[in-house]
Amino acid sequence: MRKGFWKDFRKHRTLLIMALPAFLVMLFISYVPLAGLALAFKRVEPGAGLFSGAWAGLDNFRFLTSGRGEFGVMARNTVFYATVFTALGTCLNVLAAVVFDRLAFRRAARVLQTAAVLPAFLSWAVVQFLVFAFLDRSSGIINTAFATRFRFYTESGLRYWPAILTVVWVWKTLGLGALIYTAALSQVDPALYEAAQLDGAGALRQVRHIALPALRPLVILTLLLAAGRFLRSDTGLHYLVTHNIGKLYPRTEVIDSYVLDALMKNSYSGYTAAAALFQSAVGLVLLLPGIAAARRLSPESALL
Amino acid sequence: MQTDLHSAAYPPRRRQRGPGQILLLLLALAMAAFSLAPVLAMLTAAFTDDNWILDHGFSIFPSGHWSLNGVRALIRYSPQLWTSLAVSLGVTAAAVCLGLLIMSMYAYASARRGFRLAGFLGVFALLPLVLSGGQLSEYLVFTRWYGLGDSPLLLILLASVSAANVLVLRTWILRFVPAELTDAAEMDGAGESRTFFRVVLPLMKPALAAVGFLLAAACWNDWQTPMLYITSPSRMPLTAVLVRIQSSIDFLLNSGSVPPADLEGIGGFIPPFSTTMFAALISAAPVLILYPFFHRSLVRAVPFGALK
Repeated sequence: MRKGFWKDFRKHRTLLIMALPAFLVMLFISYVPLAGLALAFKRVEPGAGLFSGAWAGLDNFRFLTSGRGEFGVMARNTVFYATVFTALGTCLNVLAAVVFDRLAFRRAARVLQTAAVLPAFLSWAVVQFLVFAFLDRSSGIINTAFATRFRFYTESGLRYWPAILTVVWVWKTLGLGALIYTAALSQVDPALYEAAQLDGAGALRQVRHIALPALRPLVILTLLLAAGRFLRSDTGLHYLVTHNIGKLYPRTEVIDSYVLDALMKNSYSGYTAAAALFQSAVGLVLLLPGIAAARRLSPESALL
Repeated sequence: MQTDLHSAAYPPRRRQRGPGQILLLLLALAMAAFSLAPVLAMLTAAFTDDNWILDHGFSIFPSGHWSLNGVRALIRYSPQLWTSLAVSLGVTAAAVCLGLLIMSMYAYASARRGFRLAGFLGVFALLPLVLSGGQLSEYLVFTRWYGLGDSPLLLILLASVSAANVLVLRTWILRFVPAELTDAAEMDGAGESRTFFRVVLPLMKPALAAVGFLLAAACWNDWQTPMLYITSPSRMPLTAVLVRIQSSIDFLLNSGSVPPADLEGIGGFIPPFSTTMFAALISAAPVLILYPFFHRSLVRAVPFGALK
């Protein structure tokens, strides 16, 4: 085996050289920082390096057992948004994809879908201003249209933010998400639909029995990926759009936005590192049974 | 066997214009309108008189009270705008060129049949999707160990390689570059690199276009990396400026006095709304304008990264 390996090696030397640059980039950008996970077990002072500092055992993980407190709120928000976004997002993506796929006016479908995808390609740095244009107390579109004086960006607006963040997130992701599903639907043999129609199946029936099953593998894959990233969030949404307003944290702060804030204010600690490790750990824990379940539900998917 | 997926995504159908179709059309229109409304509001606000906005608020459609003051303020009095524009363009261009080259080579190697390490390369690229060191660890490694704080090189490197893009390229090669072609080239005596550059790469054009666009958009739009790592104004891309304008505008609307540094950056504090919206427009415009041209490539190449 060893002899064969080295012969292979030289024969494919060029291939290795070709793969090397990207390999190195990934190694240094994605793999080396994994060493930093060790920080979760050390006493970290802002300004300290990665190898300095004493070991702190499991001290940094106290937040997990202390019940409520800041982490409790953060975690609750993270889980809430992850669940809502995944469930709602997937349903809406599927629905939107079916709409675009079944629309008989093909040119309209193409144009409208292109328009719907645009928000995905706007930076959150831009989106925060767009949201401001709607939510501002005096000049916002919502307040001027309904002649109200909602102060969304203060404590009194706190209870609206789950809805606000959800709407903004759907706005940003629906177009591109639906596009992926639409592409999957386009793979379906049109003869299936014709046959169903001849058998007397109405449009809704056709969708239920042809389109939806066709999307099943992709939905499963989406849910799987979401499981692996369960405790992660988009900081563009939770940090920028909310303008990182502290008063809104009870409804808007998630683990990722907390970590970003700590980094920006240089106030990170071992607790920060522990929270980050916790995220990855939970993701992995959810992923493994997730893959097993996905394999059983979707045996034809070659990716798994 | 190349399917023109773009036309396939919108295959000609027998027109059945029942009431259901009208409903579908309305839904599609609603989605498009929902997506475009905020963009229109930004477009309108950039060219509207700020006094009008202060009195009557933002609006989705133009009110007729045009003003180029915001545009002028930004263009004339904000050298930071031009610097940042140049930085954004430079970083994005570099990231796209570098990324496409090294990722496609990597994807080719990881898709090469008969290459023992191909599988390993595939997994190596995908693992970061689920396993991450976290923002804190990345920050410390990038600034302390690599000394890449405040460095555009960091932005370029971070943007150039991503697991999803490698996956798209790899899947495309597996699907659309038949093994017979590469084998034939090998038998003709072509080395791997010649095979790659002469045979495989030309066949990858749609995937390269799609991935190139996605990469460019992601890099151009990235705000968190510049915000965290770039501290010198001369190295700040456009998004970093946008993120900083935000705190300035808040400050402006609250107390009416502006720190001199911020004042320079936004070129005068009157008019705040149209200036900010115009800056946002400048950031958004390139991607928005280019997207329709790449829609076709995206529909063809990207789903294959997800489907099999």
